[in-house]
Amino acid sequence: MDEKFDAIIVGAGLAGSAAAYRLAQAGLEVVLVERGPYPGSKSLSGGVLYGRVLSELIPNFWDEAPVERFINNQVITFMTGEASFSVDFKTQAFSAPPYNGFSVLRARFDRWLGEKAEEAGAMLVPGIRVDHLLREDGRIVGIVAGDEEMRADVVIAADGANAFLAQEAGLRERIPPAHIAVGVKELIGLPRETVEERFRLTGNEGTAYAIVGFATRGVSGGGFLYTNLESVSVGVVMHLDDLIRHNLKPGDILEDFLAHPLIAPLIRGGRLLEYGAHLVPEAGLQGMPRLVTDGFLVVGDAAGLTVNNGLVVRGMDLAIGSGIAAAEAVLAAKEKGDFSAQGLSVYPQKLEASFVMQDMRTYANAPHFMENPRLYAAYPQLATTLMAQLFAQTSQPKAHILPTLLKAVKESKISLLDLALDGWKGVRTL
Amino acid sequence: MADQTIWAFSEKPALLAELIAGARQLSGAAAAVVVGPRALCEQALAAGADRVYWLGETSDSRLVEDYVPTLAALVTEQQPAALLIGATKRGKAVAGRLAARLGTSTITDVKRLSGEPGSYQAEHLIFGGGAVRTEQPHGLLLCTVGQAAFEPLPPEPGRTGPVVEVPFVAPPWQLQLRERKEKPPVSVNLAAAKRVVCPGRGLAKEEDLALMRELAQLLEAEIGCTRPLAEGLNWLPRERYIGVSGANLKADLYIGIGVSGQVQHTVGISEAHVVVAINKDKTAAIFQQADYGIVGDLYTVVPALIKALQARK
Amino acid sequence: MNIVVCYKLTPDAEDIEVKPNRTISLEKAEWNIGEYDLMAIEAGVQLVEAVGGQVSALSVGPHQTAASKAKKDVLSRGPDDLYLVIDDALANADTHLTARLLATAIRKRGPFDLVLCGEGSSDLYFQQVGLQLGELLGVPVINAVSRIMPADGKVIVERSLENEVEVLEVPLPAVLAVTADINQPRLPTMKEILKAGKKPVTEWTLADVPPAGGLQESVTVLSTLAPKQVERKQIIVPGNPDEAVQTLIGYLSKEGVL
Repeated sequence: MDEKFDAIIVGAGLAGSAAAYRLAQAGLEVVLVERGPYPGSKSLSGGVLYGRVLSELIPNFWDEAPVERFINNQVITFMTGEASFSVDFKTQAFSAPPYNGFSVLRARFDRWLGEKAEEAGAMLVPGIRVDHLLREDGRIVGIVAGDEEMRADVVIAADGANAFLAQEAGLRERIPPAHIAVGVKELIGLPRETVEERFRLTGNEGTAYAIVGFATRGVSGGGFLYTNLESVSVGVVMHLDDLIRHNLKPGDILEDFLAHPLIAPLIRGGRLLEYGAHLVPEAGLQGMPRLVTDGFLVVGDAAGLTVNNGLVVRGMDLAIGSGIAAAEAVLAAKEKGDFSAQGLSVYPQKLEASFVMQDMRTYANAPHFMENPRLYAAYPQLATTLMAQLFAQTSQPKAHILPTLLKAVKESKISLLDLALDGWKGVRTL
Repeated sequence: MADQTIWAFSEKPALLAELIAGARQLSGAAAAVVVGPRALCEQALAAGADRVYWLGETSDSRLVEDYVPTLAALVTEQQPAALLIGATKRGKAVAGRLAARLGTSTITDVKRLSGEPGSYQAEHLIFGGGAVRTEQPHGLLLCTVGQAAFEPLPPEPGRTGPVVEVPFVAPPWQLQLRERKEKPPVSVNLAAAKRVVCPGRGLAKEEDLALMRELAQLLEAEIGCTRPLAEGLNWLPRERYIGVSGANLKADLYIGIGVSGQVQHTVGISEAHVVVAINKDKTAAIFQQADYGIVGDLYTVVPALIKALQARK
Repeated sequence: MNIVVCYKLTPDAEDIEVKPNRTISLEKAEWNIGEYDLMAIEAGVQLVEAVGGQVSALSVGPHQTAASKAKKDVLSRGPDDLYLVIDDALANADTHLTARLLATAIRKRGPFDLVLCGEGSSDLYFQQVGLQLGELLGVPVINAVSRIMPADGKVIVERSLENEVEVLEVPLPAVLAVTADINQPRLPTMKEILKAGKKPVTEWTLADVPPAGGLQESVTVLSTLAPKQVERKQIIVPGNPDEAVQTLIGYLSKEGVL
């Protein structure tokens, strides 16, 4: 191909489409290459879309985008095999624009965002898998797909958690299992009235559950459940190395999770609409690759941009933020005519200045904290045992909360020191 | 001369006999339209036709399709209520061109016919077998019917009836036949297989097909598969895929091994006489579509089955 | 050679949803070019690559047929331009109406040497429209074509019947319905996908292309239902593998299938 484009973006997920949209808006010739038949066909999320950054790119996007429910109810649950203890927070403060987060179905949402990029002038090339980067004199000058080459001033790798292009560009090594999680998910269809009755929802409001403990059978990770308009997204995400260590299969863990007495009634009578699995970067700041080299940038999951602070799981907003920052960096580089790592350094600078890197730094120790095995067995057990003892009315005389708590802690064999340190670390890390 | 007689046409005498039976079943009276040697007319009468229209002989310079204008003129003149055409490729060519000349649509690959003249209803499969559609033509019922939709009547040799020689209407164009070439036979015909062993996604690797083949050999069965094995993984050729837009079984015995039982596959096994499922997931949908099921790991159950079958021999 | 290839955009049968009372919904289905139509397009493009000329793609249908993704998809496979007749009333057009409308559109487009059609559509697979179209255009038409060899003023085709292959001379202009054996369609390249957006598209309404004979339907669809669920015994054979297979063999013997 003789033409040279301003930018080639590999992957029409949220980061890629956001970058494409921003660049096309500015009048650049940008090609958005997607290996699936349409943007979103390969996307799968276990999270909630926190929308603020997207609303900066596309104001009031919720009026036109296929979002499911706005989330104004967040539940954190400690789960054991037979019990659960939840903190259930609901507020009307999240019920009006600009809202807080949304449940989304990625096949539909990403498709919409990809179409927006196309409408803005980006050239979408679906059904093409990029095999390699194209190099000339050692510099990255484009991409190779099959027998074809395509050149551009800059290649933006938005190719997802496997980050193949970033590896090929020399920005990172192969991702170790310790830095990656695997998520398995089911989309379960339920009539709209059933969703609203079971989760006590009115109109388009929705609930997000973050579940820790039995959900993953002691493997570090968590379970999630989000209400959509006429379905429920439910699944588990687990650190790959821990999963291997426990010698358990994700599908089996998911089956048990769905059968748990807390979850089963929520999905009863539902129809399995979709089943999928996906990798998620899980190392936080320390797992991030270098972000720039000559003629090349990495965004989204490929850049390891995810946060799990135990309360919320984020990747989509970080992806969008990084896509926008990358686009602005390309615009700045074009102005200077300098697409070297130096010329593109606006990208890491913008990321650092924005919530993206600031949040990555804030939560830098969260991954390590979340590996604490007490989170998955001992603490859920402690919490539910304590609650059981507080609420049970037997023929034994009752005690006050404090002695009951101390007794429960003593019986749990968790040392008071660990408990205190974990609590202290927790509130400072998450 | 509109009457109750239903017409049947096929260039293949065996298929024509089935259509004649179908025509009789629907209305009581059948007329056969014959191309080929005159002797086929007597055969058609013996097969149950009350009347025969003989279009003429075929040769390398007069192909079956060259009779389309003749047949169209005959139908226009005689106004039968319905015309059943054998669903060979030639039959479909004749049906399509006839439909255009007669101003109607052909209802193809009909499985069931019912109704009265003027309100006939024809049932056929669409969406690759995923749905049954029932249609009613506004005028003439023009349809194609495949093999084995009807059972031929017991032949009555010596049965008589009028044989009308139809005057040839020269076609406006003819294709010149240059050559006929023999065709290599089809590698597998799952629709005709009596027993089928069908692995699904539960099979971990391609090498494990050897286990399936061992079982199939013992059972004298053909190997089929679900779509992912044929199209996604390419472990088996497309002709072996059973399901929507794939093969439809009429087998006596189907054994699904590591098959989950999604509807896109099970539409292909609904006519199998006995369905057996082996799957380690007790909630797999296949068990509701099966007569007999074993919940277990195929890698222990199938070898056990092979051993048990060998012991019987 | 001046070639028109007809295609149909159809909902993917894999996405069928069966509702209670056996009704069918394809609301959630993805719409794609029929797989046999892709072969017809490939055949047309290969012919023009061999002897020169042009290939137009043509389709008639509801609004989904004019979706940007669909237009780009067909144009990324080699045709030079695209003609569409769009109206939601065409969503369930019968084969005769479809053929009449295609014939009218082809005449409006102008002269042609060859019209190519797939064997049948991906959703209904009636295998009729190509044949009806040829007859309505008054030109030679043949189906089951598995090979096309251009010659002077004609094409030599191989026609793949059940037990034999006929080699036939077909004078042009003509209509050919090609069979699944004819070729393996190429995958669109990045270059072709990018070019697709720039190729000319002519979009007509039914008012622009009134089909000869009007919009009458010749058949009425009475129902479209999921096939009846076959009643199965649903017997789960218990025991360890060795016991279970013995019991199973017992059942199968009794059924007479072993």
